[in-house]
Amino acid sequence: MVTGAVVTAPGLSSYLKSLKSTPVEPSVEHLISLLKRRQIRNSRPCAVATLALLSRVVGEFKGRDAAKLVERIRQIGRRLTSAQPREVVVGNIIRRVLGLVREVVEDNVEAVTEATSDAGQSHPAHHDSLHRPQLISSISTFSPLKHASAEPMDSSSHYSENMSDSGEMSKRPPLLTSHTSYAPTSTAPLVNSLFGLFSHPDTPSASNTPTGVQPPDGKGTLTSLNLERLADSSHSRFDLKGEVMNGIQEIQDELEQTDDSIADNALHHIHSNEIILTHTASSTVQKFLLAAARKRKFTVVHVETHPHDHTATHSILLTGKKRDAEDDEEDSWKPLRSAGIQVVMIPDSHVYAIMSQVNKVILATHTVLANGALVAASGARMIASAAKAHQTPVVVVSGLYKLSPVYPFDIDELIEYGDAGSVVPYEDGDFVDLVDVENPLYDYVPADLVDLYITNLGGHAPSYLYRIVADHYRTEDINL
Amino acid sequence: MSDAPNGGAVQPPASPLPEASSKTPSQAEGDAKNANAEGAEGAPKLSGAELKKRAKADKAAKRAAAKATEAPLEPKGLAPKEAQQQQKGSKQPPKDDKSRPLPLRRRPSNPTVPPAKEHKVQPKKEKKQTGLFFGHLYSQPRQHSIVGATKDVHPAVLALGLQYSSYVICGSTARMVAMLLAFKAVIESYQTPVGTSLARHLTSHHLSPQIDYLRSCRSLSISMGNAIRWLKDLIIKIDPSTPEAEAKRDLIMEIDNFIRERVTVADQLISEAAIKKIESGDVILTYGSSSIVEQSLLKAHSNDIPFSVIVVDSKPLYEGKRLARNLAKHGIKVRYFLISGAAHAVKDASKVLLGAHAMMSNGRLYSRVGTALVSMLAKSQSLPVLVLCESVKFTERVALDSIVGNEIAPAEELLSETERQALLPFKPKPDGKAEGETEGSADTSKEVLQWIEGAQNLQILQVLYDVTPAEYITMVITEYGSLPPSSVPVVHRLSTNI
Repeated sequence: MVTGAVVTAPGLSSYLKSLKSTPVEPSVEHLISLLKRRQIRNSRPCAVATLALLSRVVGEFKGRDAAKLVERIRQIGRRLTSAQPREVVVGNIIRRVLGLVREVVEDNVEAVTEATSDAGQSHPAHHDSLHRPQLISSISTFSPLKHASAEPMDSSSHYSENMSDSGEMSKRPPLLTSHTSYAPTSTAPLVNSLFGLFSHPDTPSASNTPTGVQPPDGKGTLTSLNLERLADSSHSRFDLKGEVMNGIQEIQDELEQTDDSIADNALHHIHSNEIILTHTASSTVQKFLLAAARKRKFTVVHVETHPHDHTATHSILLTGKKRDAEDDEEDSWKPLRSAGIQVVMIPDSHVYAIMSQVNKVILATHTVLANGALVAASGARMIASAAKAHQTPVVVVSGLYKLSPVYPFDIDELIEYGDAGSVVPYEDGDFVDLVDVENPLYDYVPADLVDLYITNLGGHAPSYLYRIVADHYRTEDINL
Repeated sequence: MSDAPNGGAVQPPASPLPEASSKTPSQAEGDAKNANAEGAEGAPKLSGAELKKRAKADKAAKRAAAKATEAPLEPKGLAPKEAQQQQKGSKQPPKDDKSRPLPLRRRPSNPTVPPAKEHKVQPKKEKKQTGLFFGHLYSQPRQHSIVGATKDVHPAVLALGLQYSSYVICGSTARMVAMLLAFKAVIESYQTPVGTSLARHLTSHHLSPQIDYLRSCRSLSISMGNAIRWLKDLIIKIDPSTPEAEAKRDLIMEIDNFIRERVTVADQLISEAAIKKIESGDVILTYGSSSIVEQSLLKAHSNDIPFSVIVVDSKPLYEGKRLARNLAKHGIKVRYFLISGAAHAVKDASKVLLGAHAMMSNGRLYSRVGTALVSMLAKSQSLPVLVLCESVKFTERVALDSIVGNEIAPAEELLSETERQALLPFKPKPDGKAEGETEGSADTSKEVLQWIEGAQNLQILQVLYDVTPAEYITMVITEYGSLPPSSVPVVHRLSTNI
């Protein structure tokens, strides 16, 4: 993440670098201006930047009041989302972190309730724990994991990852180093919580709930429980922050591993000698196809997505890199064609002509909405419609972080319009004067055109997405 | 001369290319010359099979000659002839082409890329898996020069061929009209050799090389095919006793009539029918550029019907740009989208007017690639899709998909100059070379092109047409009236039987 590369234009990497040395408030302003100027754009960079900022905010947060922390994150979230409402991912990440804080608070209440068998606890933020798979909460008793992984299998893998945390450190140094550097003030408690989760000496109920020491700050401060455990309150403050930081770390890990865990599904969906149509330069799709290419031979038809993404598309096909200059290891991989996959590039206009030959359409997305629809690079709508007309299945690959609880009441609101100069160059002066040139960057694809979503949790029907939304976001956070 | 004197020129049809390429340039040139000499001697009787043979040989020689031109050591024999031919071509522009304002379309790809390059990379490309879907269409590279054209080809036709291959004359109707006008010039300068009659000689021996040359420049449009069939039929039916001058005059008159009846007047009828469909406040969406759509819209505008137009366009020809500009200059409010934004464009439209390359007998529309997408999106928005098409573009051919019959466009046309420039930073630098190489734009774009050409397992596919299913089309407006797509075969029979 923090490489030595010299980046002249402000962007994600320069922001992450500056985040270490800048105080929180200017950092928030900085991110807002970057979002407004579209210098950080597209889902993943936005998600990474927001999460980094939030981990900084939580790290700097002083006080023991969870409600105040929630309010603080909320307020930053409001500012960020209003800076760039169409980058829905920013809001998603804010909501995830908010949910995380609430979860931490709740779980501790639960734990305490269990420990003292006090049934008289009623908690405002306790809406759907009944409907959640109980298995998860029993496996990962330290709550943040619940957010990062709703599936039992996944959570156990996360569990083991955290158990062998030192091993993780060597595997993914950038995150951890940056992580600690974002939150210099909280380093000691964080490390304490990372390594000492299971050997917490002064936990009264360490057997089943290692972090049960924390009281529900701000919500139940005056309950008898808190009075009982007044002595532990000094630790509990650290643990709130520590656990939230821990959870943010989990989300960061999830972001990093999204592509890989989506790619794990590839072999279930791509068979040999298939002809697959895809569009835009998406690292998720490329890695998905690459994973399948290791075992199978198939053909990829790549739509070039003129006029806003064609250069990236061409270069991803030729070199496997989206951008030059940025030498992120994360950002470059072997191009499909050198994995022995025959790639045919076609202009956007050829979609219908070619579709009769295509077995499967794989779309990348910008945002997935709660009703199963998606917002993707323009051209996606016609690809999906053409696929529907030919009864070709449409598969959307998307990280969970792109899944948004927003319901699209106004579709046009979600569509961003780009530089008309890339459609007709401004040298063509009289044309630009005479004619309204429009360049929509995104398309809204209704849910009925999509057959399957593949996220890092596996495959879902579009109609099931609402459930995943409910698993990952709190209803009280949907309106920031 | 029924038998070609040198065996080299007549090749088995199976493998013309490898043998041609195995020849030395000078030898190939000799072949080409021989073939030309034969043509000049003009031996009176050639059977169809022999003609075909000769055409094959010509093609092979042509290709070899093209290779020879880009070989560093140019054979001496070539220079004078080539120069002479080029002179001919430039000296005599098609006189009649200007008589009808033809849509001028800029060829978007870089003209500085020499055509010779294409020939050089062609064999390599063919080794690469060409055309996953359209392999059957990659038969012969498009001719971009008059090098190697047989001597029989009339200068007007030579020039026309170049205009075809560079998209200067583009569009089914425009190409057909231009061809007929060029043929008028051909017929005018035609003289029946002694011992044969015009009816017998003109079609098979004089028109055929012209048509072959045009086909080598760009495959014939369906309207051109229809026109050629009509013309041949006309010539064959000429009474052998008619004096030559009279026959020629009659032919030229007939051609003029044909253009007037089937195109000019038909266009008027169609556009009159079309403007009845345009209501005030309509937002008309059109795709690409069609002369008949443009004519109708302008007529509707001059009839003071308030409406606006959305032009959807696509790479690489950007035909809609010219249409949009022209409409806007006449004061029509125009919005311009590229095909990737078509879903948004369709949302705001109230009617779709499309031009056609051809109407298939199963009611499907064969038109510029992308038309199917636009009509599909329009259909999903329940917009009426009206196709404006002269009956001369109707064909008895049928098609189910866009794969079987189509026209391949050269892949390098896809990437415009600026796109190539944008790609340059991505190109991995060869280890030996330093960063400091800053060449001219021609060099860099060539470099990028070569890079893409050389890229293993990567192929750029570009076709020109697609087939729109009949269910997306609400109505076809022809000079015979407005009909559903299912009536196309009936009208076709009607129009050919007259």
